[in-house]
Amino acid sequence: MKIIALQSSLANTRPIVLRSPCFLAWGVFASLPLCFCAFVAILLASPGSANQLTPGGIPELARSPTAHSGTTRRCVANISRYNVRSNSMLRRIELSSGSHRFLVRGMTSRAQWAAAILTALVFLVPASPAQTTTPTSAKTAAPAHKRAAADTTAPTAPVKTIGNRNAPITMEVFSDYQCPSCGNFFENTLRAMIQDYVAQGKVYLVHHDFPLQMHTYSGQAARWANAAGMIGQFQDVDAALFDNQAKWTADGDLEKYVAGVLSPANFKRVQGILKGCTAAPATSKADRSVPQADPGCPVDPYIVQDIVLGYQVPVQATPTFIIRYKGQSYPASSGIITWPILKQFFDTLLSQ
Amino acid sequence: MTPNETHGNLARILLLLGRLALAAIFLFAAYAKLKPQAAMPWSGSSVKTSLSLFAMQVDSYQLLPPQLVSPAAHFLPPFELLLGLWLLSGVLVRYASFITALLLGAFFAVMVRTYMAGLEINCGCFGPGERLGPLTLLRDGSLLALALAVTIGAFVQGRKSRELSTPTAVATPQRAD
Repeated sequence: MKIIALQSSLANTRPIVLRSPCFLAWGVFASLPLCFCAFVAILLASPGSANQLTPGGIPELARSPTAHSGTTRRCVANISRYNVRSNSMLRRIELSSGSHRFLVRGMTSRAQWAAAILTALVFLVPASPAQTTTPTSAKTAAPAHKRAAADTTAPTAPVKTIGNRNAPITMEVFSDYQCPSCGNFFENTLRAMIQDYVAQGKVYLVHHDFPLQMHTYSGQAARWANAAGMIGQFQDVDAALFDNQAKWTADGDLEKYVAGVLSPANFKRVQGILKGCTAAPATSKADRSVPQADPGCPVDPYIVQDIVLGYQVPVQATPTFIIRYKGQSYPASSGIITWPILKQFFDTLLSQ
Repeated sequence: MTPNETHGNLARILLLLGRLALAAIFLFAAYAKLKPQAAMPWSGSSVKTSLSLFAMQVDSYQLLPPQLVSPAAHFLPPFELLLGLWLLSGVLVRYASFITALLLGAFFAVMVRTYMAGLEINCGCFGPGERLGPLTLLRDGSLLALALAVTIGAFVQGRKSRELSTPTAVATPQRAD
């Protein structure tokens, strides 16, 4: 966004008038340092850098291959046994263990390269005679840049993690926004944990959506959270949804509370992402069948991914969480654990 | 062998089997709670981690205040281990089985209360990862019934032993008189 906006301002303020092929060569040459800077900026903002919110969620289960060995079979080997052939939906989202890892990592690196190449092209395009011959054409190019900027709000993987991904402990929580226990767990345990051990870089919190079929609005709440995650505003919306759980559970008016924690511009972006979500949201099924994602809804595949992962844990109730430390997963726990007891467990792990 | 003697032998065998079954169950329960998790080797640190994990399960019952959760979690597995060894030894079986029945009764009452309250938690009965549900209630109820049967059997057996030994002890001085 920033890069394109920068390019837009460059196009507006420094129109390049090309009258000979030499100017084209000069334009290409002049744009190279900018491309390099853009590339470095993208790399710095990439998931690999520490102390940043990172695209987590589902990819985090595949983050450490060593996490899937030994006694971690209970939650991980099930995933590796996952049979994608039996279900076309699963084939579509490519969630088998091997392909999942490959897909996630491949997507990350490919996305970086693609972004770098696209950025380079964007810088180079204004140097072409067709668009930069006169200041007038530069002015008319502005709406095109705005359109390009608007397009970038569309689907990128939602960031549903809080903290430093290099933290020694990773806690993955499968949660339902309308489940009272999940609300209780967030308010009394996770909030304290976020302010304490997550802030200190000791714990990396990964949220997974597991909306239950029995809850009318939990699927829609998950959509809002995922859409917010796509624009890097997950933490605020996540907290707002749990803070106001009792209120929106009564009337289903989620929008009001999401709007309350986002800037108007960001709220519009989130609304834009959810514009195509017209069908009923995906929720987990009692028979453990894979829910149908709304084809027009960019966040639904991510929610379905979370639900499928939840089936594999297996998540039988919400909240359920898995704690990983030094590449090893500890058995999934369910229910409300108070922060002092959870902290004691973390301290025991960290003192090993 | 008279029918009474046959009946008495059968009762003794059943009592022995019940006592050994309870001992095995308690020893396994203690082992499951203390054993290292996540492929860790046996060590003080790994046992401490397992007890901390068990403390989370105790906490999820929402029965004890946080300051009592950890002591309870650190007390229960060693106590189960000692109780299992006591049952196995056959020393003062009446008291061992009575304490076992009391403990199982307490477990069962807590589990029923939790289940009726609608809490979706792990049982924590034999280590982590087992969900509290109707089957776990049925299992623990059966164990409680077994413990009660063994306790009653042990008391009855003890009384019979006393009855058999007392007249002899009393008769000897009478004959001497």
